[in-house]
Amino acid sequence: MSFALNGVGLTHANGFTALREITLKAEKGERIALIGPSGAGKTSLLSVLGTALAPTVGTAEVLDFGQNFRLTVELAKLRARIGTVHQAPPIPGRQRVVTAVLAGKLGQWPAWKSLASLLYPLDVVGARAALERVDLADKLFARCDQLSGGQLQRVGIARVLYQQPELILADEPVSALDPTLALATIRLLIAEAEARGATLVASLHAVDLAIGNFSRIVGVKAGRIAFDLPASEITVPLLHDLYASEGDELPVQAHEPHFLSQAAANEAATRAACC
Amino acid sequence: MSFSPLRRVALKAAVACAFAASLAGGLPAFADEAILRVSAIPDEAPTELQRKFAPLGKYLEAQTGMKVVFTPVTDYAAVVESLATKKIDLAWLGGFTFVQAKIRTNGTAIPIAQREEDARFTSKFITADPNIKTVADLKGKTFAFGAPSSTSGSLMPRFFLQQAGLNPEKDFKNVAYSGAHDATVAFVAAGKAEAGVLNASVWDKLVEAKKVDTDKVRVFSTTPPYFDYNWTVRGDLDPVIIKKLTDAFLKLDPANPEHKEILALQRAARFIPTKKENYDGIEKAAHAAGLLK
Amino acid sequence: MSRIDRDPAARSRLIGALATLVILWPLFQAAEVKPGVLFDPGNLKVIGNFLAGFLPPETGAEFMGYLAKATLETLAIATAGMALAFLIAVPMGYLATGAGREKATLNPITRSLLTILRGIPELVWALVFVRVFGLGPAAGVLALGLTYGGMLAKVYAEILESVDAAPARALRHNGAGRPLAILYGLIPQASKELASYTVYRWECAIRASVVMGFVGAGGLGQLMDQAMKMLNGGEAATILLAFMVLVFAADGFSGWLRRALDTPPANRASPFGWRSGGLGLVLVVSIVASFSYLEIGLKSLLTVEAAHSIGEFVAGFFPPDLSAEWLAKVGKGIWETLAISVVGTLLAAVAGLLLALPKWRAPFSFLLNTLRSVPELVWATITALAVGLGPFAGALALALHTTGVLGRLYAEALDNAPPAPGQALHLVGAPGGFAFLYGTLPGAAPQLIAYTLYRWEMNIRMAAILGFVGAGGLGQLLYFELSLFHHAQASTVIIAMLLLSIAVDQASARLRRWMA
Repeated sequence: MSFALNGVGLTHANGFTALREITLKAEKGERIALIGPSGAGKTSLLSVLGTALAPTVGTAEVLDFGQNFRLTVELAKLRARIGTVHQAPPIPGRQRVVTAVLAGKLGQWPAWKSLASLLYPLDVVGARAALERVDLADKLFARCDQLSGGQLQRVGIARVLYQQPELILADEPVSALDPTLALATIRLLIAEAEARGATLVASLHAVDLAIGNFSRIVGVKAGRIAFDLPASEITVPLLHDLYASEGDELPVQAHEPHFLSQAAANEAATRAACC
Repeated sequence: MSFSPLRRVALKAAVACAFAASLAGGLPAFADEAILRVSAIPDEAPTELQRKFAPLGKYLEAQTGMKVVFTPVTDYAAVVESLATKKIDLAWLGGFTFVQAKIRTNGTAIPIAQREEDARFTSKFITADPNIKTVADLKGKTFAFGAPSSTSGSLMPRFFLQQAGLNPEKDFKNVAYSGAHDATVAFVAAGKAEAGVLNASVWDKLVEAKKVDTDKVRVFSTTPPYFDYNWTVRGDLDPVIIKKLTDAFLKLDPANPEHKEILALQRAARFIPTKKENYDGIEKAAHAAGLLK
Repeated sequence: MSRIDRDPAARSRLIGALATLVILWPLFQAAEVKPGVLFDPGNLKVIGNFLAGFLPPETGAEFMGYLAKATLETLAIATAGMALAFLIAVPMGYLATGAGREKATLNPITRSLLTILRGIPELVWALVFVRVFGLGPAAGVLALGLTYGGMLAKVYAEILESVDAAPARALRHNGAGRPLAILYGLIPQASKELASYTVYRWECAIRASVVMGFVGAGGLGQLMDQAMKMLNGGEAATILLAFMVLVFAADGFSGWLRRALDTPPANRASPFGWRSGGLGLVLVVSIVASFSYLEIGLKSLLTVEAAHSIGEFVAGFFPPDLSAEWLAKVGKGIWETLAISVVGTLLAAVAGLLLALPKWRAPFSFLLNTLRSVPELVWATITALAVGLGPFAGALALALHTTGVLGRLYAEALDNAPPAPGQALHLVGAPGGFAFLYGTLPGAAPQLIAYTLYRWEMNIRMAAILGFVGAGGLGQLLYFELSLFHHAQASTVIIAMLLLSIAVDQASARLRRWMA
């Protein structure tokens, strides 16, 4: 078992209920896509899996760690085994790419190594290997604020590759990438998960990308699971029903509105990440 | 366009400033003839000086018929400058500050009286270091003077050191100015300076009041006597007032209980007349020590 | 390790680190940093005894009377000084600013005049004015007025230049003169910032006027100087408390005022409501009261005789003593002052960062405020006793006050730094410290560095005057020479202070650009 959510509900401090009665299990090595309209609760679900948020109702078990999470040494050990690709890459602009990638192993390294690595990057070879897989080896020693939004997103992915987690969570990992690169990146994540027997859960905005690449699709709507089916059983009416709040068009890659201007999107992503 | 509240404040501030300036200009100037303005060099706590001066001030008011106002200060030179620019009429000066005042006023400042003790004043060299026995042992040590323009805390000790063949800037490890005699003792007691020098009268006062641990801090040398403190008036003060002031000081009689209190506070047996020439020695010493150019 | 996997930046980093060491080492030497002295058991006992002497605070009626009078005097000096500064700043700012001009010409004469006004610390002005205008608060008011006038004018000019110029340009094209174009086109945009900065400066003026007392310009500082010189701990404690209350109150009041300035105007024709009317009245009354309380007879300052004595006094400063022997002494003073400012700022940066760390903040914010509310010069009187007279005492005093200032600014900067990178690292199991070092700190670094450098610019001015209380550097030279009426030598020192502060401004601006 990789994770098991049992009747999980999540109510934020401000009273907003983001998740209700979520029951979801996954075996080791499964690859799951989360789809659904904006605000459906995909990010909240990933946050619970990533132990960033503790469920207010129900139980969550992640990588055999029974919890309603508290900050303990145990939790830090668990977190070292979970890798997250964020929607906006959470990397300080003034950091160098090599450091940003190496930061993926801060949860595994002893303190002296983390400290020394600030002065001189201690695993250049490892960082280069991870960056090679996202085609950014030439940017190894560049500063993050010199990269485009898309490149920065790939640095975030390289960090997760370097971390080698058993559970990979990805929150709209390719929304800042152009369609070709997006597809390549999703395939890279899948190949990585496959190669190491890791579990992959990715929320995706583009339905076609999800159905074309993932074996199991979970539809999320208004904080609940609308369906949980193999990709082959997803039908167009099912999707229309899921996206009813967003009009008649289904979100697919070609229609992604923020690719109207690549430059503008890049800039926005860089701003979000680098400032 | 609407006025933001901010604008309003800014505008009003401008109006207020103009108004205030015009009012301030109309205030009475402060060189009023019926007032005698007095100050003293701050070689002791100025609040202390102020307290000590209170009975003497009352006495002077009675003797001159003028209102006496005492202004405490923290800067020696400010007293000299104020005397020269006629901001004060009467000042308690040290020997060296008197010389400075004499020069600043082109020789017009007049010393009118001094304490009997001031004719034979000395400075005490003190230390807490058992290895320092004579001034010659001060070589390579850290040393604290009082204020730079103090006679007994800076000038005369410097002059006598020089005569003993010691140049503070070259021969001492570090020269500091504590700013006041009491502070010098504190620095030596705390080991912040290996030795220091101060006014004999303040040293006696501190020993009497048990404010210094004499087992720890001891006097290892005393300077030869010299002329120190006096009461000085600015030269262009009305001669009648000068006469009244001089007489008032000289009239203070230890046999009179009221006067005795005043004299005790001033740490004086009695006041005696003095003259400019008494301070020529100090002027020469100041030239020799490089403090006067 | 293959060649390609070597960090290409390592070499330049190493060189940079070595160069920093090579520059800092002699500076630390010059500042006579001896941390051992601080923790020497004998010394701890001395400090302990001294601090024990602070208790109980003096509460005698006579002393409280002096204290109340001094507090009023401090407030009055600050208020009157600010009023004067405002009168100077408005026309000077107008002349200096490029705003509202058809062609962007900066007025070089006004600008350099402002640099001189700002570059000479207010305490030096005060020291000189005390001599010229006699003892008492007039000197403090004038000194504050000039330095703060210079600062306000510069900042006013910059604020006006920073807002959108289009409205003013349009007005000018329609035939409006420059004053009207500024008044109608620029002031409405800039008013909040202008007023906010003015209020902030008033707060600083209170701290500064406290310090003026150290050269005999009255107020709380004078009382403090006396108490410290005489090692009267009880009095010093009461004065310190009075200080803090005053600074906290000013802080609170200026905060309230700035918030009040944010409220939108009421919907009526007259711009004057009860609150702004009341405030204006208070302002007028307090300024008038300040001037009359201080008995500043401007008339007596403006007589022929006074002018003559000023002229004589000023003439004594020319020509400055430029003999090689004296210049060597001043050079040493410059080096020591630089050392005090750099060491003090660096120590404060480290301590401030530690105190600003999110986890520790709550109990330490009071400590930061306390450190901040006590001026450097007051700290210096205490550190001089702790580590002996000399530059280390100055550096420590600077560090104590600056820790308070930087700690608060750092805390704000860390709050405003993007939280996502740090949180993401928490989620990969990084311990809190490393999530901060790898995630939060790089995001906040430019801001932290900018704050530190700005503070260094202020500290070089402070370091130049700490010598007045025996903490070494140029201040000690100036104090000594002015005490002895060696005006030609003093003049060289003042020029050196001015040049040093200009040089540090330039260096800091360059460093900021280079780091950005």
